Amino acid sequence: MPKEINTSKLLRLKRYEQPPPDYFEDFLFEFRRRQRAELLRRSTREILWDRILSMAPNFRVPQLAYAAIVALAVAASVLIVSQKSPGGNSLAAAKTESFQPALTLTSSKPVTISDTLPAAARAGGSVSSHYVLQSRPVSNEQPLSF
Amino acid sequence: MEEAPQTPDAELVARTQAGDPEAFDELVVRYSPRLYGLVYHMTSNHEDTNDLLQDVFAKAFRSIKGFQGKSSFYTWMHSIAVNMSINFLKKRGRRLTMSLDDVDAGVQNDAEFIEATTGSDPSHAANLRELQQRLNEAMQKLSHEHRAVVTMFDIQGMPHAEIAKILGISEGTIRSRLFYAHRQLQNSLEEFIKR
Repeated sequence: MPKEINTSKLLRLKRYEQPPPDYFEDFLFEFRRRQRAELLRRSTREILWDRILSMAPNFRVPQLAYAAIVALAVAASVLIVSQKSPGGNSLAAAKTESFQPALTLTSSKPVTISDTLPAAARAGGSVSSHYVLQSRPVSNEQPLSF
Repeated sequence: MEEAPQTPDAELVARTQAGDPEAFDELVVRYSPRLYGLVYHMTSNHEDTNDLLQDVFAKAFRSIKGFQGKSSFYTWMHSIAVNMSINFLKKRGRRLTMSLDDVDAGVQNDAEFIEATTGSDPSHAANLRELQQRLNEAMQKLSHEHRAVVTMFDIQGMPHAEIAKILGISEGTIRSRLFYAHRQLQNSLEEFIKR
């Protein structure tokens, strides 16, 4: 395939495209000058950020992958926060709505004992009011014995 | 008189990591000619190459503390140069500015050049400028990724395995890209080759 040989030969000729001989000496000088200028120009925060980046492992991960990971993390955070907030708020709202106190200080309606009884007792109407003394007088307590 | 043995890259890297900037200067001197060729053949422009190569070494210097020696410094530097060149070309878009004034005069004595420019019929001899222009135009028609592979393999003479390490892809992919790129270059240079 003479054509292929010619293509390779032609490409090899590009090796001769070189800068002037003293270019590389000037290049090093220019590199040092730029480095000094950069150090003077850059803020501490930028230098710190560069150090952090240079310490990070050098994975071959596309930059989009990093962006995707960050986006996922943000989305997950938003989801978690939104699940907590509306759920909690709605529960509180529901509680507020369902709670209607039988006794209020501003109520104009006269309050009876039955109003303070549980709903089941009020519905049945057969439960009579009674009081139970759940504690005993101190003098009735059993003396400690070992 | 024998030349003093060259300090290994790993030692210069370690000294740079320990805070010796002169060690990095030595790495710059050592790698700039080779990386210049790589970046230049990707961009086809000397001014862009100069700026880009400065940025490549600046980035390497900033990141060298994170270099753990898992690959050779040679591979690491070439990876930075190729990635930055591809990013630059993506930003530059299709603007093509060639600078073809600095060609080494040695090419005119090169047997391959004489053969390529005269061919079987001396009446069809092309001048150096035209040949360079054709080559650069053909190269610019390749995608950035294909151009990188052609530059490293055909122009710089790197083996497939080394290119695969630098680009982080398999040798099979390198061969496939080379095959496709050569076919494209042949089509672009067909008229010139036939003359």
